[in-house]
Amino acid sequence: MSGTSKVSREQLERKLCARFEQAVPKRVNGDPHFVWRGRNLSADCLLQIGTVSYLLRFEQGSIKECRKGLPLMCPWDFAIRGSARGWDALWQDPPKPGWHDLFALTKRGEMTLEGNLHPLVANLQYFKDILALPRKGGAR
Amino acid sequence: MKANPVEPIIGRYTTVSILGEDCRIYFEEAGQGIPLLCLHTAGADTRQFRHLMGDEDVTEKFRVITFDMPWHGKSYPPVGWEKREYQLTTELYVAMIRSFSAAIGLDRPVAMGCSIGGRIILQLAHAHGREFRALIGLESADFQQPWYDTAWLHRSDVHGGEVCAALISGLIAPQSPDAHRHETLWQYMQSGPGIFRGDLYFYRVDCDLRGKLGGIDTSVCPLYLLTGEYDFSCRPEDTLRTAKTIPGVKVKIMKEVGHFPMSENPAQFKKYIMPVLNEIWKREK
Repeated sequence: MSGTSKVSREQLERKLCARFEQAVPKRVNGDPHFVWRGRNLSADCLLQIGTVSYLLRFEQGSIKECRKGLPLMCPWDFAIRGSARGWDALWQDPPKPGWHDLFALTKRGEMTLEGNLHPLVANLQYFKDILALPRKGGAR
Repeated sequence: MKANPVEPIIGRYTTVSILGEDCRIYFEEAGQGIPLLCLHTAGADTRQFRHLMGDEDVTEKFRVITFDMPWHGKSYPPVGWEKREYQLTTELYVAMIRSFSAAIGLDRPVAMGCSIGGRIILQLAHAHGREFRALIGLESADFQQPWYDTAWLHRSDVHGGEVCAALISGLIAPQSPDAHRHETLWQYMQSGPGIFRGDLYFYRVDCDLRGKLGGIDTSVCPLYLLTGEYDFSCRPEDTLRTAKTIPGVKVKIMKEVGHFPMSENPAQFKKYIMPVLNEIWKREK
């Protein structure tokens, strides 16, 4: 990777992380209906934006912890890992066709879902809506 | 409140023998003229076509008819359903459409199907084209790559309705109005247990039409394929690839529409479907 492209990738990741941190967990925990929708969910999620990892600890629909960087040997239940390009496209308003949904991104190889997927799948719309919050205009 | 709140759609039941089994079928219709038989998507029902059936520009020229497939909507499963798993096959799907059409006396209808309905339209064009005045495939392709494990659709520890709706929610275009988006999702939330998955047996396992669409004569039965640009399940490139194998087919990629054009954004869909319907109407006139 050239120096210039590494710098631009890091800049993009910084921008995406700032956008994510601005929206999550504040807009989840601050919305009683959001918390109610996730009331049966308690799980730890590894979220990866490019090379940056976050640990999201969900407890009965609230996000109890949103930590940038994982502690050593930290376990998690499932992981959502996306390329910086994928998250950047997902958070455009409107996103481009084929880049507008988690599964559109997994299908094109820009995102992976790993680990015990049960908590994710059983609460799928809740997670899709959380992960659309950084989009200008928010979740649909 | 509007002066006339009663919609023109009429719903009725008929019992049809499909591959030797009696099935009580719920169907709806509106309008007069050329019969236009509409086929809903997997795990859904007739409600997807309510906007088309309520549009006078359509119903003044077409008798729009749509039915709930057995196991869907208000059509019951056949007697004994509790002792078997539902799996839609190509043979069953074709028999269902032809038996229903014959049972209510349709004379060479136009058929329009979406998603699995779009796939079966291709099979109808291939094997039964002479029985139709025209065929319209929405979100239609000979094959598309799977993008999730359908085992998640029918488990005791995951709510089937919620997971079905959540999975397909991404197939709706971001521009589609919220009211129509959530109405479309509600239909998926109401499907019977395992029915969406059973329909996808047809889609993923039983009906790979790649290399099998020879002999389609579009001069006898015109064929139209329309696909939404936001459909990442049946992608525009899947439809375009399919179209390349069918001489005379007419293709259109619809802007700002996903996998459910008629229900997720009726106004946008109308821009694309009216020219097709008008062309069919002029041809028949």
